[in-house]
Amino acid sequence: MKNIDMKMHVQGKSQYVDDLPAREGLLHSVIFGSPVAKGKIIKVDISKAELAEGVVKVLTYKDIPGKNQIGHIIQDQPLLAENSVKFIGQPVALVVAKTRSQAFNALKLIELDLEEEKPIVDPREAYSKNEIFGSPMEMTLGNTESAWGKCENIIEGRVESAGQEHFYFETQSALAEPIEGGNIKVSCSAQAPAGYQHHVSDVLGIPMHKVEIEIRRLGGGFGGKEGCAVWACLPSVASYVLDKPVKLVLSRHEDITTSGKRHPYSSDYKIGFDKNGKILAYEVTMYQNGGAFSDISLPVLGRSILHTVNSYKIPNFNGKAISCRTNITPNTAFRGFGVPQAVFLMESAIYNSAFKMGVNPASIQKANLLDEGDQLPYKMRVEYCNSKRCWNTLDEKYNIDSRIEAVKEYNKINSETKKGIYVTPICFGISFVQTALNQAGSLVHIYTDGSVGVSTGAVEMGQGVNMKILLVAAKTLSINPDRVKVEPTNSTRIANASPTSASTGADLNGMATFKACNVLFERLTKYAAEHLNVEDVETVKIKDEVIYVDGRKTEYSWKQLIKDAYWSRVDLSCHEFYAPPQLYWNAEKMEGQPYTYHSYGTSITEVTLDCIRGTYEIDSIEVVHDIGQSISEDIDLGQFEGGIIQGLGWSTMENLVYAENGRCMSVTNAYKMPDIKYIPKKLTIDFLENVKNPYAVCNSKAVGEPPFIHGIGAYFALMDAARAARQDNKEPIFDLPMTPEKAFMYIYE
Amino acid sequence: MIRCIVNNQYVESELHPATASIDFIREELKLKGTKEGCKEGECGACTVLVGELGESGNVEYRACASCLLPLGEINNKHLVTVEGVNFEKLNSVQSAIIENNASQCGFCTPGIVLALTGYCLSSDDFSYEDAINALDGNICRCTGYASIKKAAVAIAALFNNKACNKESRIELLIESGILPEYFLKISDKLKEINKNIKKDSHKDSECTYIAGGTDLLVQKPEALLSENVCFLSDRKEFNEIKLDEDVLSIGGGVTTEQLRKSPLFNKYFPSTSEDLLLISSNIMRNKATAAGNIVNASPIGDLTIIFLALDASLVIENSNSPRTVKLSEFYKGYKTYDLKKGELIKKIIIPLPGKNTYFNFEKVSNRKYLDIASCNSAVKVELNDNKVNSIVISAGGVAPVPYLLRKTSEYLSDKKITGEIIRAAGNIVASEVTPIDDIRGTAKYKKLLLKQLFYSHFIKLFPEHVKFEEVSK
Repeated sequence: MKNIDMKMHVQGKSQYVDDLPAREGLLHSVIFGSPVAKGKIIKVDISKAELAEGVVKVLTYKDIPGKNQIGHIIQDQPLLAENSVKFIGQPVALVVAKTRSQAFNALKLIELDLEEEKPIVDPREAYSKNEIFGSPMEMTLGNTESAWGKCENIIEGRVESAGQEHFYFETQSALAEPIEGGNIKVSCSAQAPAGYQHHVSDVLGIPMHKVEIEIRRLGGGFGGKEGCAVWACLPSVASYVLDKPVKLVLSRHEDITTSGKRHPYSSDYKIGFDKNGKILAYEVTMYQNGGAFSDISLPVLGRSILHTVNSYKIPNFNGKAISCRTNITPNTAFRGFGVPQAVFLMESAIYNSAFKMGVNPASIQKANLLDEGDQLPYKMRVEYCNSKRCWNTLDEKYNIDSRIEAVKEYNKINSETKKGIYVTPICFGISFVQTALNQAGSLVHIYTDGSVGVSTGAVEMGQGVNMKILLVAAKTLSINPDRVKVEPTNSTRIANASPTSASTGADLNGMATFKACNVLFERLTKYAAEHLNVEDVETVKIKDEVIYVDGRKTEYSWKQLIKDAYWSRVDLSCHEFYAPPQLYWNAEKMEGQPYTYHSYGTSITEVTLDCIRGTYEIDSIEVVHDIGQSISEDIDLGQFEGGIIQGLGWSTMENLVYAENGRCMSVTNAYKMPDIKYIPKKLTIDFLENVKNPYAVCNSKAVGEPPFIHGIGAYFALMDAARAARQDNKEPIFDLPMTPEKAFMYIYE
Repeated sequence: MIRCIVNNQYVESELHPATASIDFIREELKLKGTKEGCKEGECGACTVLVGELGESGNVEYRACASCLLPLGEINNKHLVTVEGVNFEKLNSVQSAIIENNASQCGFCTPGIVLALTGYCLSSDDFSYEDAINALDGNICRCTGYASIKKAAVAIAALFNNKACNKESRIELLIESGILPEYFLKISDKLKEINKNIKKDSHKDSECTYIAGGTDLLVQKPEALLSENVCFLSDRKEFNEIKLDEDVLSIGGGVTTEQLRKSPLFNKYFPSTSEDLLLISSNIMRNKATAAGNIVNASPIGDLTIIFLALDASLVIENSNSPRTVKLSEFYKGYKTYDLKKGELIKKIIIPLPGKNTYFNFEKVSNRKYLDIASCNSAVKVELNDNKVNSIVISAGGVAPVPYLLRKTSEYLSDKKITGEIIRAAGNIVASEVTPIDDIRGTAKYKKLLLKQLFYSHFIKLFPEHVKFEEVSK
């Protein structure tokens, strides 16, 4: 069954925040952001701006009724700057006017007197000046120090990866409306209903129950609407203070230049192999560019360090990770949540080792793949491990060695173009590492006509979580999916909902929905037995909207059953709760069972490089991945295709650049992401067959983030091709993304 | 006052004619299906169709980005938003998108529906390539495009073995369940509206001229709203490509897409139909004009670089008598040029190529399509007895203005084209340019890249004489 959301999308009828019908008296707001990356505020003069045409009020931190604080994990971020500014675009004031263009026009009239200071852009520089968030993390398995002596080959190096702009199509936006009795309703584009509710309540100084958060759908999220509630809090403050509905919708330029992005990382590694090519020891130090405020940089960093070994068994490991405070946008969650950076680091170490040892990277990868029961550096042992099975299935289908040989042959006889190829294995842990976040509620109502409404805390952002929940409900109640509607996410229906992130949306909310529907199903089955005067409940079944007794179909229908149940005062609503029981995490020791399960896959990427111009084409990406038993293959395939291309964008063309003064140079016309002509000529995705996963709803597996990692293979395939373009044995570079400029300079410099 | 038909309705508006159509659509008409993704023509979420009466009386439609479409440009025309292609059931384009799962968050989807509808209206032969070209300005951040490509295949397949003529195109699309029936009446309605138009004289020296608007609406959308603006798209003499004795005359208002599809331009410069695909996207090419590219004065303007190598001259209209200036002498410095307020580039004059004339264009950008070049270059070379009789080489992104490689040309003149000569000339190329570091690349990169692009001209044009291995040593 196709995702029903598409029907409204294609007709342009789906409403996003900026499409919501305006209430009378709606006001528009625009942020006045800091023009410099670091400085002390001497004076903010808003008097002229307040007199401008259409302007109702200009708010500064003094107007905030509650706490001027939106720090998520560390309380370090003011909603509006008070004494200092720490990144370009940091909100200093909010102009509220009758129209958006009037608000924009008034920005020019705000006078900001600043004492400018020298900003930091580089994370290592920040580290050297002790500008860090929290304390450094460290994770250890075995003993690397004693292992080095047993190594035949030891390779060291440095790896850089740049950030990435989310470019969700719907920019950050929120509409705040006063509700009688000092309550407020905030309709916003947000992945974290409870997180945003908490921040709005904090800045307004009112209890959470007075703040209603409604999220119908997002025009894309990718993590960018999870950590930072600033864009929902600002119009909320204005609405609360003015007692008027107030909207804030960022322009693309504002969004791209001032919102947090994927973290750039700069890392060092040391890796050692025995004489058979087995990895004996691996040490890393990662410097994360956290930006000006901590946001959710620390959890991102935690996930990085947990994924440093990717899909490999490494007996001796030591990892250090530091989140560095700089003066760029406060970086935040982005699909993969620190894993892409860690995998790029691991694969760089392997690629460089292969280069130094004169072997193919695939031989190193294959020799070190995880196997059932192997221990990861955080002490968890892998179960239902399909790392090798994915590799072998891919190999059977495409014959990895012969593909590598074919590329070598091609490069022997061609000089204007060179090919490159790379295999990428993946192991991706599923769950929030913060155990408490792994909880979800689902509220299921059956109405008297037999139709069903499901509310969960999951946020629909194009990933199809609502459709999956709908299918789970229909399947569990054994009714036609047409009878089920999934409601917009609303904090008054589902309280304290965890953010929809970490690929867990369908796992957690789907399971809670399954449980709620199951309770109702059993309740109704019992009622049906009573109603039909059948003594043994076990003989009564509801199937495809009809009641069966002893396997015989009766005349008794779902619709009639529901009607009768209502008149017999049977509760037709149910709220259920799900929290995967096996999880625990010791943050101090960095060990435990942080994930319910792992997602495995392997892919092979082939590229062609134009050696004259340094430009390239992605010829093919072929994937074999374990997604368990899919609830909807249509949706899962879409997540794969989209995730892979987003990863491909990060590793090749998406060029996020900050100037030394902290300005984001990658403005709208300079930040390019994959277009329809860029994607691989061949993109083939196979899902492993006959697999099971007892740890998620209906034996499924999460699909949101893991596919992103397959896109990283393109970097190494391009590196391969660029090396083939040179006659000498030039050292490879590990500085993602591999833009045409970098590929060109590698060849010609 | 603006008068137009929006979907199935006659609409008048008092908004300033330089208002971006998307604001008119969303704020005044409250049609929220058109989405604002970037307001710079970079994403395609706001794609709409604009229909105008063609010479035969048919309505001809073009897909445009409504964020860079000034309201004045839809005056007396038919504007189609996603609401205008909805009928009771899903239309065939919409069904194909759903059938192939080609929509996720949905924000870019209305734009994709209209880009594909635009393809159905304007493709000559319903080829799959045309469908993909029609989508080259529609970015989707969710799907990874594989499903959108499948939808495009399904839509192209709807027209297998169907007659392709443009005269009955509307009927065909209604029959195919793509357009609602009201489209049949649009032609008559537009004729009715157009009956009473008084053509402005357009001689107001105080007015700001807008051709396509794709640049002005990015550069200064707010400022335009307080200016007196005049539009050029209904002035026929600005929009023609024709042969004027021994020169090719391209109207200043000719759009990039018009040029790309022009049989005349293609006849003389056949490689350009592919080259011009590298310029922006379909929804931009449909509006962006030749003269607009020239007066934008970007050192990296693709059309300008092509015209420069083609030895173009500009015919400039003013209140006195028209004057002609060589494009190579038009630019005075970074973003400054020889055009006074009230003057207009009426035509671009290009000498016809001779029998032994060769032309090539090269462009490298971070993303191949819809991106600003790091470096671009064009060459026109005329051989005589295998020797270079005349040569013009232009280069973009390497100087404050669109640049001519004069020293290199001088060196090559009268020489036979061999790998050795070209390699030697490449060193001169690098010596005569002065690129700077910016977001499009470092100075060092651009210098080296230009040299390579210079080589590629000759590798491509004279593969017998110039080999990659030889010049790349």
